[in-house]
Amino acid sequence: MNLGDTADLLKKELSKANDLDSLKEIETSFLGRNGHINKLLKTLKNAPQDKRKELGISINKLKQETVKLISEKKDLLIEKSNNKKIDITLPGKKYPKGSLNPVTYVIEEISSIFEKIGFIRMSYPEIEWEFFSFEALNMPKDHPARDDFETFFMDFPKHKEYGKMVLTPHTSSGQNREMRRLGKPPIRMINIAKTYRPNWDASHVPMFHQFEGLCIDEKINITHLKGTIEYFVKELFGNDREIRLRPFHFQFTEPSFEVDITCDICNGTGYLDSKKSQKCRLCKQGWLELGGTGMVHPNVLKAGGIDSSKYTGWAFGFGVERVMMMKEGTGINNMRDLYDGDIRVLEQF
Amino acid sequence: MNIKITYSWLLDYLDTDANPYEIQKYLSLSGPSVETVEKIGDEYVFDIEITSNRVDMASVFGIAQEAQAILPQFGKKAKLKINPLEKYSFKKSGLLEKGGDDNLDVEIKGENLCSRFTAIVMNSVDVKESPAKIAKRLELCDIRPLNNVIDISNYLMLSLGQPTHIFDYDKIAGKKMILRESKKGEKIITLDGKKINLPGQDIVIEDGSSNIIDLCGIMGGNNSKVDENTKSILFFVQTYNKKNIRRTSMLTGQRSVAATYFEKGLDTERVEPTLCFGVELLKKETGGQISSKLIDIYPKRPKEKQVRAYLKDIQRVMGVSIEEKKITSILKNLGFKVERFENDELAYPDSVFFDVTVPTFRADDVDIKEDIIEEVARIYGYYKLPSIMSPLVHIKQPKDIEGLFKITQRIKHFLKTLGLHEFMNYSMISGQMIDDLDMKKGGHLKLANTISKEIEYMRISLLPSLIKNNIENKGKKDELKIFEIAKVYKKRENDLPTEKYKLAISADTDFFDLKGILTAIFEELNIKNISYKNGDYNLFSKNKSAVIYSGKEIIGFIGALNEKYIEKFSLKKDLYLAEIDFEFLIKNYSDIASYEEPIKTAIVKLDSTIDMSAINYSDLKRQAFSISKHLINIEIIDSYKNNLTIRFYFADKDKNIEEDAAKKELDSILEKVEK
Repeated sequence: MNLGDTADLLKKELSKANDLDSLKEIETSFLGRNGHINKLLKTLKNAPQDKRKELGISINKLKQETVKLISEKKDLLIEKSNNKKIDITLPGKKYPKGSLNPVTYVIEEISSIFEKIGFIRMSYPEIEWEFFSFEALNMPKDHPARDDFETFFMDFPKHKEYGKMVLTPHTSSGQNREMRRLGKPPIRMINIAKTYRPNWDASHVPMFHQFEGLCIDEKINITHLKGTIEYFVKELFGNDREIRLRPFHFQFTEPSFEVDITCDICNGTGYLDSKKSQKCRLCKQGWLELGGTGMVHPNVLKAGGIDSSKYTGWAFGFGVERVMMMKEGTGINNMRDLYDGDIRVLEQF
Repeated sequence: MNIKITYSWLLDYLDTDANPYEIQKYLSLSGPSVETVEKIGDEYVFDIEITSNRVDMASVFGIAQEAQAILPQFGKKAKLKINPLEKYSFKKSGLLEKGGDDNLDVEIKGENLCSRFTAIVMNSVDVKESPAKIAKRLELCDIRPLNNVIDISNYLMLSLGQPTHIFDYDKIAGKKMILRESKKGEKIITLDGKKINLPGQDIVIEDGSSNIIDLCGIMGGNNSKVDENTKSILFFVQTYNKKNIRRTSMLTGQRSVAATYFEKGLDTERVEPTLCFGVELLKKETGGQISSKLIDIYPKRPKEKQVRAYLKDIQRVMGVSIEEKKITSILKNLGFKVERFENDELAYPDSVFFDVTVPTFRADDVDIKEDIIEEVARIYGYYKLPSIMSPLVHIKQPKDIEGLFKITQRIKHFLKTLGLHEFMNYSMISGQMIDDLDMKKGGHLKLANTISKEIEYMRISLLPSLIKNNIENKGKKDELKIFEIAKVYKKRENDLPTEKYKLAISADTDFFDLKGILTAIFEELNIKNISYKNGDYNLFSKNKSAVIYSGKEIIGFIGALNEKYIEKFSLKKDLYLAEIDFEFLIKNYSDIASYEEPIKTAIVKLDSTIDMSAINYSDLKRQAFSISKHLINIEIIDSYKNNLTIRFYFADKDKNIEEDAAKKELDSILEKVEK
């Protein structure tokens, strides 16, 4: 091919190129090691002596022209490619979306809140002897919580020392287990577990979750219980929520309290409007019941082999589902939704 | 239990300047929780929660007594106007004198059924409507007024916290009462017209014609009730063994208001003022006159109880230095007697202590110094105590427990990301499900007192629950992949069952989808050396199940649900199930994968289509690697009928491998496996 043919071919090829890949091919075929330009240069040595210089200059000119034309075409193609439109409103590729039971998220959050202040999460038997569920918690044989209406019993021979086998009706059976495990204070424990009660109707389920906190040490008093529960409430529910301790009664604590927190729906006023004409249905006049707590009863310490004249402690047991339903934004307000196993409910979380 | 009382009724007993809302707020902080105050007309009605240990508070007088101790702490005036416990006694009311010729012959069979039995007969009773004040108060407190006699009985219960019963004296055959335990199967028709089949061991009263006329502590009998024609009444005030009452009430479902009092155990000493006040009201409102002598059977008077509390102990538990005189005034206002002592020889815990005499109405509730501390602390005000974070210490969490929670959280979120849904099922399943799946009930721990056949046996596997989830969600989704992580419970001899965590997954897609999920889990946790061998499970279809091994240890199984169960449960699609020992994952996971140096020399990839009818993939793989020393990986590219297109990767880590050398190695592999 002579100079003129090469220039014509270049123009023809460039006019056909409509993407960057084909342009790259053209570039190689003209400017590459074995490209048309280099081939022309190789013909130089065969050219007559007097025309060599002139021919050399022409080839060089063609080379520069080629570089320029390719570069111009490249700019054109890049611009064209950039201007290509996509419909950014089309949906993205579909990835699978799974779900976890809402209870899982709350359990994770509770553990992490207590982990930050040095409470270790533990795990204890869910099927227990009466001793750990009751006697060790200062609940005498005739206590109503121990009857058939409040506790599930297993069809199993009695243990000589520990009595009947039960399905734990509360997480508190872990208290004695933890005291035995450690032998002596300090104790900082959180136990989140399944609990069982014979109650199954429109709003109750026979299995649910509780979380138990236990703190035993020298010089632990009511102010520590207040401080720790207040920390928990503010972490979980938000800084603007207040707590109050109300006197209550539990066998395994003395003094015993019930913790209330201010209702977020009515901001603790008990009414939905400023004229106080519409009562808040969620709370009891501004307060929501969180659960039970108190100072560990000396008999409970004793059952765990701890000297109650030297050590004191506090404990609480709250319902996981209750806490979940009290938290803003979950929307679930019936325990059964969590355990009835309807995929259309569960897949939303 | 909850009670309702009104503000004006409370003011009968209490002199105070606190308004109803102040009473609500302050009592809730330091005593009984006043859940609501409702203004109805010119009255205010309190709805008050009474804890099970404080039935002594479940009355207008009980609340007045609490208010007397609490309100002054908030700067409010509060003083009891009347103390019925002091005002009334049999002697002061003249009830010890012979009142008339009517008689009642009482026999009590059995000890510990009735801790105090009192009764008195009144004649010339005029049964009519109650005066407006009594009727209105009862109505506001959710008790329907009936007639003056019945209403007084209810009015007494709410005033003083002691239920009473009133019989038509003329309907008691032979004027005789035998208080005894019932026999199973005996019957009574109660006042509300319900026919009750007695469970046995219930406290009942039989009259002279062997009719049961009272289901004690729960409800009177229809056969002896007061009606508009009644002229003579037997006024009846008792305290019973709380255990019998609760049992009867729960077993018969008769949860009467009286039962909620009696089942908590009542103070025998309050019987006396209640009877006196009752006679006073009955005389005034019905015109009745005493016509018998007073019957009072009181086998065991309670002894006075004392509890010692040290000043330092009170301060130690409260976390503040409360003053001595505050302690004594709080306790006295609550009805305790307090004596202060100082003994310098007693250095520990303190030289200052209080001997506190417990009033009889608190005898069941106050036993130890902590009970005294509670009384002082609550009235002082929990709200006044500062909030201090519990001191920080380090307690070591056992490694296996740490791993359990960490891996649980990680796997749950991982499976969610893969598109699976978490289910939380009850730990118990039905006997029917066990039968349906041809499992053995005997292998399961059984509940002795289940409330539903649906939850009778403790799970030994999570799979029955997942199968149930699939049955119940049939047709709701095109594709359903779910999982559960939970404990299973295996029976042991003479011991608690073992409780082991399992991970179970179900997928209604195909076997390899489910197997792929398992592989992804093992890879996520950097667990290697997992292998699958043909399994033989009744639950699964023959030839479509596998045992999962880690080395030689069995760690789980996977398979397609047996066709016969698909048929039995009318499932619309095939179902694939797997269950893995979760503890295996916890013991064997590692956070970071072990490092392998990348091969820097050339890699030759060769594809070959192989007829797999005579060999399975895992054998092929094993053989290929044993024959070729430069094979580094194999991968399935495509499959068609019995043929697999497999890509073989060859490399020599010391030098670039020649394509011919790789081909030669592939040929020797193919020669072996295609034979």
